[in-house]
Amino acid sequence: MDIFLQQLINGIVLGSIYSLVALGYTLVYGIMGLINFAHGDIVMVGAMVTLTVARLLSDSGLPGPLVLGIGMLTAIPACMAVGYLIERIAYRPLRNAPRLAPLITAIGVSILLQNLAMMIWGREYLSFPQILPTRTMAVGGASISAIQLLIVASSTIMMAGLSSLIRKTRLGNAMRATAQNPEVATLMGVNVNTIISITFVLGSALAAVAGMMVSAYYGIAHYDMGFILGLKAFTAAVLGGIGNIEGAMLGGLLLGIIESMGAGYLGTLTGGVMGSNYQDVFAFFVLILVLIFRPSGLLGERVGERP
Amino acid sequence: MSLLEISDLHVSYDGIKAVKGIDLRLENGEIVALVGSNGAGKSTTLKAICGITPVQSGKILFEGRNLRSIPPHQLVRQGIALVPEGRGLFGRSSVEENLKMGAYSRSDSEIAKDLERIYSLFPRLLERRTQASGTLSGGEQQMVSLGRALMSRPRLLFLDEPSMGLAPIMVGKIFEIIQTIAAGGMTVLLVEQNARMALSMSRRGYVMESGKITLSDASSSLLENPLVKAAYLGQ
Repeated sequence: MDIFLQQLINGIVLGSIYSLVALGYTLVYGIMGLINFAHGDIVMVGAMVTLTVARLLSDSGLPGPLVLGIGMLTAIPACMAVGYLIERIAYRPLRNAPRLAPLITAIGVSILLQNLAMMIWGREYLSFPQILPTRTMAVGGASISAIQLLIVASSTIMMAGLSSLIRKTRLGNAMRATAQNPEVATLMGVNVNTIISITFVLGSALAAVAGMMVSAYYGIAHYDMGFILGLKAFTAAVLGGIGNIEGAMLGGLLLGIIESMGAGYLGTLTGGVMGSNYQDVFAFFVLILVLIFRPSGLLGERVGERP
Repeated sequence: MSLLEISDLHVSYDGIKAVKGIDLRLENGEIVALVGSNGAGKSTTLKAICGITPVQSGKILFEGRNLRSIPPHQLVRQGIALVPEGRGLFGRSSVEENLKMGAYSRSDSEIAKDLERIYSLFPRLLERRTQASGTLSGGEQQMVSLGRALMSRPRLLFLDEPSMGLAPIMVGKIFEIIQTIAAGGMTVLLVEQNARMALSMSRRGYVMESGKITLSDASSSLLENPLVKAAYLGQ
Protein backbone atom coordinates (compact mmCIF):
# COMPACT_ATOMS: atom_id res chain seq x y z
CA MET A 1 0.00 0.00 0.00
CA ASP A 2 1.21 3.45 -0.86
CA ILE A 3 1.37 5.24 2.49
CA PHE A 4 1.92 8.69 1.06
CA LEU A 5 -1.08 8.53 -1.25
CA GLN A 6 -3.25 6.97 1.44
CA GLN A 7 -2.36 9.66 3.97
CA LEU A 8 -2.95 12.33 1.35
CA ILE A 9 -6.43 10.96 0.70
CA ASN A 10 -7.18 10.72 4.41
CA GLY A 11 -5.86 14.25 4.85
CA ILE A 12 -8.09 15.63 2.12
CA VAL A 13 -11.12 13.95 3.69
CA LEU A 14 -10.27 15.29 7.15
CA GLY A 15 -9.45 18.66 5.63
CA SER A 16 -12.83 18.90 3.91
CA ILE A 17 -14.49 18.57 7.29
CA TYR A 18 -12.18 21.15 8.87
CA SER A 19 -12.89 23.53 6.01
CA LEU A 20 -16.65 23.35 6.54
CA VAL A 21 -16.27 24.06 10.24
CA ALA A 22 -13.61 26.73 9.69
CA LEU A 23 -16.04 28.56 7.39
CA GLY A 24 -18.41 28.97 10.31
CA TYR A 25 -15.70 30.64 12.39
CA THR A 26 -14.55 32.85 9.58
CA LEU A 27 -18.04 33.96 8.50
CA VAL A 28 -18.96 35.10 12.00
CA TYR A 29 -15.55 36.66 12.61
CA GLY A 30 -15.72 38.47 9.28
CA ILE A 31 -19.11 39.98 10.04
CA MET A 32 -18.74 40.91 13.67
CA GLY A 33 -15.17 40.31 14.81
CA LEU A 34 -16.24 37.59 17.23
CA ILE A 35 -14.61 34.18 17.67
CA ASN A 36 -17.65 32.03 18.28
CA PHE A 37 -16.07 29.36 20.43
CA ALA A 38 -19.41 27.57 20.66
CA HIS A 39 -19.24 26.76 16.96
CA GLY A 40 -17.52 23.41 17.52
CA ASP A 41 -20.37 22.42 19.80
CA ILE A 42 -22.88 23.15 17.07
CA VAL A 43 -20.99 20.55 15.02
CA MET A 44 -21.48 18.19 17.96
CA VAL A 45 -25.23 18.89 17.96
CA GLY A 46 -25.27 18.08 14.23
CA ALA A 47 -23.42 14.83 14.89
CA MET A 48 -25.74 13.86 17.74
CA VAL A 49 -28.92 14.59 15.81
CA THR A 50 -27.71 12.68 12.75
CA LEU A 51 -26.66 9.76 14.91
CA THR A 52 -30.01 9.70 16.72
CA VAL A 53 -31.94 9.67 13.46
CA ALA A 54 -29.64 7.00 12.01
CA ARG A 55 -30.17 4.81 15.05
CA LEU A 56 -33.93 5.21 14.90
CA LEU A 57 -34.05 4.34 11.22
CA SER A 58 -31.26 1.73 11.06
CA ASP A 59 -33.70 -1.16 11.25
CA SER A 60 -36.33 0.42 9.03
CA GLY A 61 -34.98 -1.22 5.91
CA LEU A 62 -34.38 2.09 4.20
CA PRO A 63 -31.14 2.28 2.22
CA GLY A 64 -28.16 3.62 4.19
CA PRO A 65 -27.48 6.76 2.14
CA LEU A 66 -31.15 7.72 2.43
CA VAL A 67 -31.04 7.31 6.21
CA LEU A 68 -27.95 9.48 6.30
CA GLY A 69 -29.71 12.04 4.12
CA ILE A 70 -32.71 12.15 6.44
CA GLY A 71 -30.35 12.50 9.38
CA MET A 72 -28.63 15.42 7.73
CA LEU A 73 -31.90 17.11 6.79
CA THR A 74 -32.93 16.86 10.44
CA ALA A 75 -29.59 18.06 11.74
CA ILE A 76 -29.42 21.14 9.47
CA PRO A 77 -32.59 22.88 10.75
CA ALA A 78 -31.78 21.81 14.32
CA CYS A 79 -28.33 23.39 14.15
CA MET A 80 -29.66 26.46 12.36
CA ALA A 81 -32.11 26.98 15.20
CA VAL A 82 -29.35 26.55 17.79
CA GLY A 83 -27.12 29.02 15.95
CA TYR A 84 -29.92 31.56 15.61
CA LEU A 85 -30.84 31.32 19.29
CA ILE A 86 -27.22 31.61 20.46
CA GLU A 87 -26.75 34.84 18.54
CA ARG A 88 -30.09 36.22 19.59
CA ILE A 89 -29.86 35.39 23.28
CA ALA A 90 -26.14 35.41 24.08
CA TYR A 91 -24.35 37.69 21.61
CA ARG A 92 -26.80 40.36 20.46
CA PRO A 93 -27.18 41.99 23.89
CA LEU A 94 -23.37 42.34 23.93
CA ARG A 95 -23.08 43.91 20.47
CA ASN A 96 -21.60 47.12 21.81
CA ALA A 97 -19.81 45.64 24.81
CA PRO A 98 -15.99 45.46 25.04
CA ARG A 99 -14.57 42.62 22.95
CA LEU A 100 -13.71 40.40 25.89
CA ALA A 101 -17.34 40.09 27.03
CA PRO A 102 -18.70 38.23 23.97
CA LEU A 103 -15.55 36.07 23.89
CA ILE A 104 -16.11 34.89 27.46
CA THR A 105 -19.79 34.46 26.67
CA ALA A 106 -18.85 32.26 23.72
CA ILE A 107 -16.90 29.97 26.02
CA GLY A 108 -19.90 29.95 28.38
CA VAL A 109 -22.25 29.01 25.55
CA SER A 110 -19.86 26.21 24.58
CA ILE A 111 -19.96 24.78 28.11
CA LEU A 112 -23.73 25.16 28.19
CA LEU A 113 -24.20 23.27 24.92
CA GLN A 114 -21.90 20.47 26.06
CA ASN A 115 -23.80 20.05 29.31
CA LEU A 116 -27.17 20.13 27.59
CA ALA A 117 -25.93 17.46 25.20
CA MET A 118 -24.67 15.39 28.12
CA MET A 119 -28.13 15.60 29.71
CA ILE A 120 -29.86 14.58 26.49
CA TRP A 121 -27.46 11.97 25.09
CA GLY A 122 -25.54 10.89 28.17
CA ARG A 123 -21.81 10.80 28.84
CA GLU A 124 -21.09 7.55 26.97
CA TYR A 125 -19.52 7.35 23.54
CA LEU A 126 -22.34 6.63 21.12
CA SER A 127 -21.63 4.45 18.14
CA PHE A 128 -22.96 5.25 14.71
CA PRO A 129 -24.90 2.35 13.14
CA GLN A 130 -23.20 0.69 10.21
CA ILE A 131 -25.54 1.88 7.47
CA LEU A 132 -23.14 2.78 4.69
CA PRO A 133 -21.47 0.18 2.45
CA THR A 134 -17.94 -0.54 3.64
CA ARG A 135 -16.72 -1.21 0.11
CA THR A 136 -13.58 0.62 -0.87
CA MET A 137 -12.17 1.65 -4.19
CA ALA A 138 -8.52 1.10 -5.02
CA VAL A 139 -6.66 4.10 -6.39
CA GLY A 140 -3.02 3.61 -7.30
CA GLY A 141 -2.06 1.60 -4.23
CA ALA A 142 -4.39 3.40 -1.84
CA SER A 143 -8.06 2.97 -1.06
CA ILE A 144 -11.03 5.30 -0.82
CA SER A 145 -14.24 4.36 0.97
CA ALA A 146 -17.75 5.40 0.02
CA ILE A 147 -18.08 7.74 2.99
CA GLN A 148 -14.78 9.41 2.13
CA LEU A 149 -15.97 10.10 -1.39
CA LEU A 150 -19.26 11.39 -0.03
CA ILE A 151 -17.49 13.75 2.38
CA VAL A 152 -15.18 15.27 -0.20
CA ALA A 153 -17.93 15.59 -2.82
CA SER A 154 -20.54 17.15 -0.56
CA SER A 155 -18.17 19.57 1.13
CA THR A 156 -16.88 20.69 -2.27
CA ILE A 157 -20.44 21.32 -3.43
CA MET A 158 -21.32 23.21 -0.26
CA MET A 159 -18.22 25.38 -0.44
CA ALA A 160 -18.78 26.18 -4.09
CA GLY A 161 -22.36 27.09 -3.24
CA LEU A 162 -21.31 29.32 -0.36
CA SER A 163 -18.65 30.99 -2.50
CA SER A 164 -21.08 31.97 -5.22
CA LEU A 165 -23.68 33.00 -2.64
CA ILE A 166 -21.19 35.45 -1.18
CA ARG A 167 -19.70 36.64 -4.46
CA LYS A 168 -22.77 36.89 -6.63
CA THR A 169 -26.00 37.35 -4.72
CA ARG A 170 -27.63 40.38 -3.18
CA LEU A 171 -27.42 38.70 0.22
CA GLY A 172 -23.72 38.07 -0.32
CA ASN A 173 -23.15 41.72 -1.21
CA ALA A 174 -24.93 42.77 1.94
CA MET A 175 -22.83 40.34 3.98
CA ARG A 176 -19.58 41.63 2.55
CA ALA A 177 -20.64 45.24 3.03
CA THR A 178 -21.62 44.55 6.63
CA ALA A 179 -18.30 42.83 7.26
CA GLN A 180 -16.39 45.87 6.02
CA ASN A 181 -18.43 48.69 7.48
CA PRO A 182 -21.69 47.93 9.28
CA GLU A 183 -22.54 51.60 9.80
CA VAL A 184 -22.32 52.47 6.13
CA ALA A 185 -24.02 49.21 5.15
CA THR A 186 -26.96 50.34 7.29
CA LEU A 187 -27.07 53.62 5.38
CA MET A 188 -27.28 51.62 2.14
CA GLY A 189 -30.41 49.95 3.46
CA VAL A 190 -28.91 46.75 4.89
CA ASN A 191 -30.57 45.50 8.06
CA VAL A 192 -27.40 44.52 9.90
CA ASN A 193 -29.23 42.50 12.56
CA THR A 194 -30.81 40.32 9.91
CA ILE A 195 -27.46 39.83 8.16
CA ILE A 196 -25.82 38.77 11.41
CA SER A 197 -28.63 36.29 12.10
CA ILE A 198 -28.33 34.86 8.60
CA THR A 199 -24.56 34.53 9.02
CA PHE A 200 -24.97 32.49 12.19
CA VAL A 201 -27.65 30.33 10.58
CA LEU A 202 -25.51 29.71 7.48
CA GLY A 203 -22.45 28.79 9.55
CA SER A 204 -24.57 26.47 11.65
CA ALA A 205 -25.94 24.71 8.58
CA LEU A 206 -22.37 24.00 7.46
CA ALA A 207 -21.59 22.81 10.98
CA ALA A 208 -24.54 20.42 10.85
CA VAL A 209 -23.23 18.83 7.68
CA ALA A 210 -19.74 18.62 9.19
CA GLY A 211 -21.27 16.94 12.26
CA MET A 212 -23.02 14.40 10.09
CA MET A 213 -19.72 13.69 8.33
CA VAL A 214 -17.67 13.31 11.50
CA SER A 215 -20.10 10.96 13.21
CA ALA A 216 -20.61 8.81 10.14
CA TYR A 217 -16.89 8.76 9.23
CA TYR A 218 -15.49 7.94 12.66
CA GLY A 219 -18.58 5.96 13.65
CA ILE A 220 -18.75 7.64 17.01
CA ALA A 221 -20.17 10.73 18.73
CA HIS A 222 -19.70 12.21 22.17
CA TYR A 223 -20.97 15.31 23.95
CA ASP A 224 -17.53 16.97 24.11
CA MET A 225 -16.38 16.01 20.60
CA GLY A 226 -16.93 19.60 19.45
CA PHE A 227 -14.22 21.02 21.64
CA ILE A 228 -11.06 19.71 19.96
CA LEU A 229 -12.71 19.72 16.55
CA GLY A 230 -13.70 23.35 17.04
CA LEU A 231 -10.19 24.34 18.10
CA LYS A 232 -8.71 22.66 15.08
CA ALA A 233 -11.15 24.28 12.70
CA PHE A 234 -10.39 27.60 14.37
CA THR A 235 -6.70 26.89 13.72
CA ALA A 236 -7.56 26.20 10.09
CA ALA A 237 -9.40 29.51 9.87
CA VAL A 238 -6.42 31.37 11.36
CA LEU A 239 -4.03 29.50 9.06
CA GLY A 240 -6.00 30.64 6.02
CA GLY A 241 -6.53 34.15 7.40
CA ILE A 242 -9.51 34.59 9.67
CA GLY A 243 -12.36 36.44 8.06
CA ASN A 244 -11.33 35.22 4.62
CA ILE A 245 -13.68 32.67 3.01
CA GLU A 246 -11.19 31.12 0.59
CA GLY A 247 -8.66 31.18 3.43
CA ALA A 248 -10.88 28.98 5.59
CA MET A 249 -11.26 26.46 2.78
CA LEU A 250 -7.53 26.38 2.06
CA GLY A 251 -6.58 26.39 5.75
CA GLY A 252 -8.89 23.46 6.48
CA LEU A 253 -7.56 21.40 3.64
CA LEU A 254 -3.93 22.15 4.51
CA LEU A 255 -4.45 21.40 8.17
CA GLY A 256 -6.11 18.09 7.36
CA ILE A 257 -3.21 17.08 5.11
CA ILE A 258 -0.55 18.24 7.60
CA GLU A 259 -2.20 16.29 10.39
CA SER A 260 -2.65 13.19 8.33
CA MET A 261 0.91 13.24 6.98
CA GLY A 262 2.25 13.96 10.44
CA ALA A 263 0.37 11.04 11.91
CA GLY A 264 1.53 8.78 9.10
CA TYR A 265 5.21 9.59 9.26
CA LEU A 266 5.87 10.67 12.85
CA GLY A 267 6.55 7.10 13.98
CA THR A 268 9.16 6.54 11.28
CA LEU A 269 10.77 9.93 11.76
CA THR A 270 11.19 9.62 15.50
CA GLY A 271 12.21 5.97 15.38
CA GLY A 272 9.00 4.88 17.08
CA VAL A 273 9.31 7.23 20.07
CA MET A 274 6.21 9.16 19.03
CA GLY A 275 3.29 7.58 17.22
CA SER A 276 0.15 8.64 15.42
CA ASN A 277 -1.50 9.40 18.78
CA TYR A 278 0.42 12.67 18.61
CA GLN A 279 -1.76 13.69 15.66
CA ASP A 280 -3.49 16.48 17.60
CA VAL A 281 -0.18 18.14 18.37
CA PHE A 282 0.28 19.15 14.74
CA ALA A 283 -2.74 21.39 14.56
CA PHE A 284 -1.66 23.44 17.51
CA PHE A 285 1.96 23.47 16.42
CA VAL A 286 0.71 24.96 13.14
CA LEU A 287 -1.37 27.49 15.07
CA ILE A 288 1.66 28.65 17.03
CA LEU A 289 3.82 28.90 13.91
CA VAL A 290 1.16 30.92 12.09
CA LEU A 291 0.68 33.27 15.01
CA ILE A 292 4.43 33.87 15.21
CA PHE A 293 5.33 34.17 11.53
CA ARG A 294 2.18 35.18 9.70
CA PRO A 295 -0.55 36.32 12.09
CA SER A 296 -2.75 37.50 9.22
CA GLY A 297 -2.79 33.96 7.78
CA LEU A 298 -2.01 32.72 4.27
CA LEU A 299 -4.68 34.71 2.43
CA GLY A 300 -5.35 37.25 5.12
CA GLU A 301 -3.94 40.30 3.39
CA ARG A 302 -6.19 43.25 3.78
CA VAL A 303 -6.49 46.25 1.55
CA GLY A 304 -6.57 49.19 3.90
CA GLU A 305 -8.53 52.36 3.23
CA ARG A 306 -6.46 55.41 2.67
CA PRO A 307 -6.98 58.14 5.21
CA MET B 1 -43.71 72.27 4.42
CA SER B 2 -39.94 72.06 4.67
CA LEU B 3 -38.20 68.96 3.36
CA LEU B 4 -36.30 68.54 6.61
CA GLU B 5 -37.10 70.25 9.84
CA ILE B 6 -35.07 69.78 13.00
CA SER B 7 -35.99 71.39 16.27
CA ASP B 8 -34.27 71.39 19.63
CA LEU B 9 -32.05 68.41 18.81
CA HIS B 10 -29.86 67.12 21.63
CA VAL B 11 -27.26 64.38 21.05
CA SER B 12 -24.64 62.88 23.33
CA TYR B 13 -21.66 61.11 21.89
CA ASP B 14 -19.28 59.06 24.05
CA GLY B 15 -20.75 60.67 27.13
CA ILE B 16 -20.15 64.20 25.85
CA LYS B 17 -22.98 66.54 24.94
CA ALA B 18 -22.07 67.07 21.31
CA VAL B 19 -25.26 68.72 20.06
CA LYS B 20 -27.07 71.04 22.44
CA GLY B 21 -30.47 71.94 21.12
CA ILE B 22 -30.12 72.98 17.49
CA ASP B 23 -32.79 74.03 14.99
CA LEU B 24 -32.20 73.45 11.30
CA ARG B 25 -34.42 73.57 8.25
CA LEU B 26 -33.97 72.53 4.61
CA GLU B 27 -36.30 73.58 1.81
CA ASN B 28 -36.77 71.53 -1.31
CA GLY B 29 -34.00 71.94 -3.88
CA GLU B 30 -31.61 74.18 -1.97
CA ILE B 31 -27.96 73.75 -1.06
CA VAL B 32 -27.36 74.57 2.56
CA ALA B 33 -23.96 74.72 4.23
CA LEU B 34 -23.28 73.75 7.81
CA VAL B 35 -19.87 75.09 8.73
CA GLY B 36 -17.82 75.10 11.89
CA SER B 37 -14.53 73.96 13.27
CA ASN B 38 -13.48 70.43 14.10
CA GLY B 39 -15.50 69.05 17.03
CA ALA B 40 -18.33 71.56 16.73
CA GLY B 41 -20.86 68.73 16.45
CA LYS B 42 -21.54 68.84 12.71
CA SER B 43 -20.89 65.18 11.96
CA THR B 44 -22.74 64.10 15.08
CA THR B 45 -25.74 66.08 13.86
CA LEU B 46 -25.70 64.21 10.55
CA LYS B 47 -25.26 60.83 12.20
CA ALA B 48 -28.12 61.59 14.56
CA ILE B 49 -30.43 62.54 11.69
CA CYS B 50 -29.51 59.28 9.96
CA GLY B 51 -30.20 57.29 13.12
CA ILE B 52 -26.65 55.97 13.52
CA THR B 53 -26.04 57.92 16.71
CA PRO B 54 -28.89 57.84 19.22
CA VAL B 55 -30.78 61.08 19.75
CA GLN B 56 -31.48 62.26 23.30
CA SER B 57 -34.33 64.58 22.52
CA GLY B 58 -35.71 66.78 19.81
CA LYS B 59 -37.73 66.54 16.64
CA ILE B 60 -36.54 65.40 13.21
CA LEU B 61 -39.22 65.69 10.54
CA PHE B 62 -38.68 64.64 6.92
CA GLU B 63 -41.60 65.78 4.77
CA GLY B 64 -43.55 66.00 7.98
CA ARG B 65 -42.81 62.41 9.03
CA ASN B 66 -40.97 61.67 12.25
CA LEU B 67 -37.59 60.25 11.22
CA ARG B 68 -36.76 59.11 14.73
CA SER B 69 -39.34 56.34 14.53
CA ILE B 70 -37.87 54.94 11.30
CA PRO B 71 -35.11 52.30 11.66
CA PRO B 72 -31.82 53.57 10.16
CA HIS B 73 -31.68 50.95 7.41
CA GLN B 74 -35.00 52.20 6.03
CA LEU B 75 -33.85 55.79 5.72
CA VAL B 76 -32.48 55.30 2.24
CA ARG B 77 -35.91 54.18 1.06
CA GLN B 78 -37.28 57.49 2.27
CA GLY B 79 -34.90 59.22 -0.12
CA ILE B 80 -32.05 60.19 2.17
CA ALA B 81 -28.38 59.43 1.46
CA LEU B 82 -25.20 60.27 3.34
CA VAL B 83 -21.68 60.59 2.03
CA PRO B 84 -19.93 59.90 5.31
CA GLU B 85 -16.89 61.60 6.72
CA GLY B 86 -13.77 59.73 5.62
CA ARG B 87 -15.82 58.36 2.69
CA GLY B 88 -16.77 55.06 4.37
CA LEU B 89 -16.01 52.86 1.39
CA PHE B 90 -16.12 49.08 1.37
CA GLY B 91 -12.37 49.09 0.75
CA ARG B 92 -11.92 45.45 -0.24
CA SER B 93 -14.82 45.57 -2.69
CA SER B 94 -14.39 46.88 -6.19
CA VAL B 95 -15.49 50.32 -7.34
CA GLU B 96 -18.48 48.85 -9.13
CA GLU B 97 -19.50 46.71 -6.16
CA ASN B 98 -19.45 49.84 -4.02
CA LEU B 99 -21.60 51.71 -6.49
CA LYS B 100 -24.04 48.83 -6.72
CA MET B 101 -24.35 48.73 -2.95
CA GLY B 102 -25.71 52.25 -3.24
CA ALA B 103 -28.68 50.80 -5.09
CA TYR B 104 -29.12 47.97 -2.58
CA SER B 105 -32.55 49.15 -1.49
CA ARG B 106 -33.80 49.56 -5.05
CA SER B 107 -35.50 46.88 -7.06
CA ASP B 108 -36.38 48.80 -10.22
CA SER B 109 -34.96 48.13 -13.66
CA GLU B 110 -33.02 51.37 -14.05
CA ILE B 111 -30.06 50.54 -11.83
CA ALA B 112 -27.82 49.71 -14.80
CA LYS B 113 -28.78 52.99 -16.45
CA ASP B 114 -27.92 54.94 -13.30
CA LEU B 115 -24.59 53.13 -13.08
CA GLU B 116 -23.78 54.37 -16.56
CA ARG B 117 -24.80 57.86 -15.55
CA ILE B 118 -22.38 57.74 -12.60
CA TYR B 119 -19.60 56.56 -14.92
CA SER B 120 -20.27 59.42 -17.30
CA LEU B 121 -20.17 61.81 -14.35
CA PHE B 122 -16.90 60.24 -13.15
CA PRO B 123 -15.13 58.72 -16.19
CA ARG B 124 -12.18 57.99 -13.91
CA LEU B 125 -14.28 55.40 -12.06
CA LEU B 126 -15.10 53.55 -15.27
CA GLU B 127 -11.37 53.01 -15.82
CA ARG B 128 -11.08 51.61 -12.31
CA ARG B 129 -14.35 49.78 -11.97
CA THR B 130 -12.85 46.39 -11.08
CA GLN B 131 -10.18 47.77 -8.78
CA ALA B 132 -10.51 47.42 -4.99
CA SER B 133 -11.82 50.80 -3.88
CA GLY B 134 -9.40 50.96 -0.94
CA THR B 135 -6.48 51.22 -3.36
CA LEU B 136 -7.73 54.39 -5.06
CA SER B 137 -6.48 57.90 -4.40
CA GLY B 138 -8.37 60.08 -1.94
CA GLY B 139 -10.14 62.04 -4.66
CA GLU B 140 -11.18 58.92 -6.53
CA GLN B 141 -12.47 57.43 -3.29
CA GLN B 142 -14.56 60.54 -2.74
CA MET B 143 -16.00 60.07 -6.22
CA VAL B 144 -16.94 56.49 -5.38
CA SER B 145 -18.58 57.58 -2.15
CA LEU B 146 -20.50 60.33 -3.90
CA GLY B 147 -21.47 58.06 -6.78
CA ARG B 148 -22.60 55.37 -4.37
CA ALA B 149 -24.87 57.82 -2.56
CA LEU B 150 -26.34 58.97 -5.88
CA MET B 151 -27.11 55.37 -6.86
CA SER B 152 -29.92 55.36 -4.31
CA ARG B 153 -31.58 58.27 -6.17
CA PRO B 154 -31.83 60.43 -3.05
CA ARG B 155 -33.96 63.53 -2.75
CA LEU B 156 -31.90 64.69 0.21
CA LEU B 157 -28.14 64.29 0.18
CA PHE B 158 -25.90 64.82 3.20
CA LEU B 159 -22.24 65.46 2.46
CA ASP B 160 -19.90 65.17 5.42
CA GLU B 161 -16.56 66.92 4.78
CA PRO B 162 -16.26 65.98 1.11
CA SER B 163 -13.11 68.11 0.74
CA MET B 164 -11.25 66.59 3.67
CA GLY B 165 -7.75 65.39 2.82
CA LEU B 166 -8.04 66.20 -0.87
CA ALA B 167 -5.62 68.13 -3.05
CA PRO B 168 -6.96 71.62 -3.90
CA ILE B 169 -7.52 70.72 -7.55
CA MET B 170 -9.58 67.70 -6.48
CA VAL B 171 -11.59 69.83 -4.06
CA GLY B 172 -12.54 72.07 -6.96
CA LYS B 173 -13.59 69.08 -9.05
CA ILE B 174 -15.70 67.52 -6.30
CA PHE B 175 -17.49 70.80 -5.60
CA GLU B 176 -18.13 71.28 -9.29
CA ILE B 177 -19.86 67.92 -9.40
CA ILE B 178 -21.87 68.67 -6.28
CA GLN B 179 -23.14 71.80 -8.02
CA THR B 180 -24.07 69.79 -11.09
CA ILE B 181 -26.02 67.38 -8.91
CA ALA B 182 -27.80 70.15 -7.03
CA ALA B 183 -28.72 71.87 -10.29
CA GLY B 184 -30.83 68.80 -10.99
CA GLY B 185 -33.07 69.71 -8.05
CA MET B 186 -31.60 67.57 -5.30
CA THR B 187 -31.55 69.07 -1.82
CA VAL B 188 -28.03 69.11 -0.35
CA LEU B 189 -26.79 69.70 3.16
CA LEU B 190 -23.07 70.33 2.95
CA VAL B 191 -21.09 69.94 6.14
CA GLU B 192 -17.63 71.48 5.84
CA GLN B 193 -14.66 72.87 7.68
CA ASN B 194 -13.75 74.53 4.42
CA ALA B 195 -16.19 77.38 5.07
CA ARG B 196 -15.24 79.55 2.10
CA MET B 197 -15.88 76.77 -0.39
CA ALA B 198 -19.09 75.63 1.25
CA LEU B 199 -20.57 79.12 1.65
CA SER B 200 -19.65 80.23 -1.85
CA MET B 201 -21.69 77.45 -3.42
CA SER B 202 -24.68 77.33 -1.06
CA ARG B 203 -27.76 79.50 -0.74
CA ARG B 204 -27.98 79.56 3.03
CA GLY B 205 -25.58 78.62 5.77
CA TYR B 206 -25.50 77.68 9.42
CA VAL B 207 -22.49 78.20 11.65
CA MET B 208 -22.07 75.66 14.42
CA GLU B 209 -19.88 76.13 17.50
CA SER B 210 -19.50 73.70 20.39
CA GLY B 211 -22.82 72.01 19.83
CA LYS B 212 -24.92 75.09 19.09
CA ILE B 213 -25.90 76.98 16.00
CA THR B 214 -24.56 80.47 16.52
CA LEU B 215 -25.36 82.05 13.15
CA SER B 216 -27.82 81.37 10.39
CA ASP B 217 -28.13 83.54 7.32
CA ALA B 218 -27.89 83.73 3.56
CA SER B 219 -24.47 82.39 2.57
CA SER B 220 -23.54 85.62 0.81
CA SER B 221 -24.16 87.55 4.03
CA LEU B 222 -22.20 85.02 6.09
CA LEU B 223 -19.24 85.43 3.76
CA GLU B 224 -19.31 89.16 4.58
CA ASN B 225 -19.94 88.69 8.29
CA PRO B 226 -16.91 89.92 10.26
CA LEU B 227 -17.28 87.18 12.86
CA VAL B 228 -17.29 84.49 10.20
CA LYS B 229 -14.44 86.16 8.39
CA ALA B 230 -12.31 86.24 11.52
CA ALA B 231 -13.10 82.72 12.73
CA TYR B 232 -13.47 80.66 9.55
CA LEU B 233 -12.18 82.55 6.55
CA GLY B 234 -8.86 83.56 8.01
CA GLN B 235 -9.31 87.27 7.34
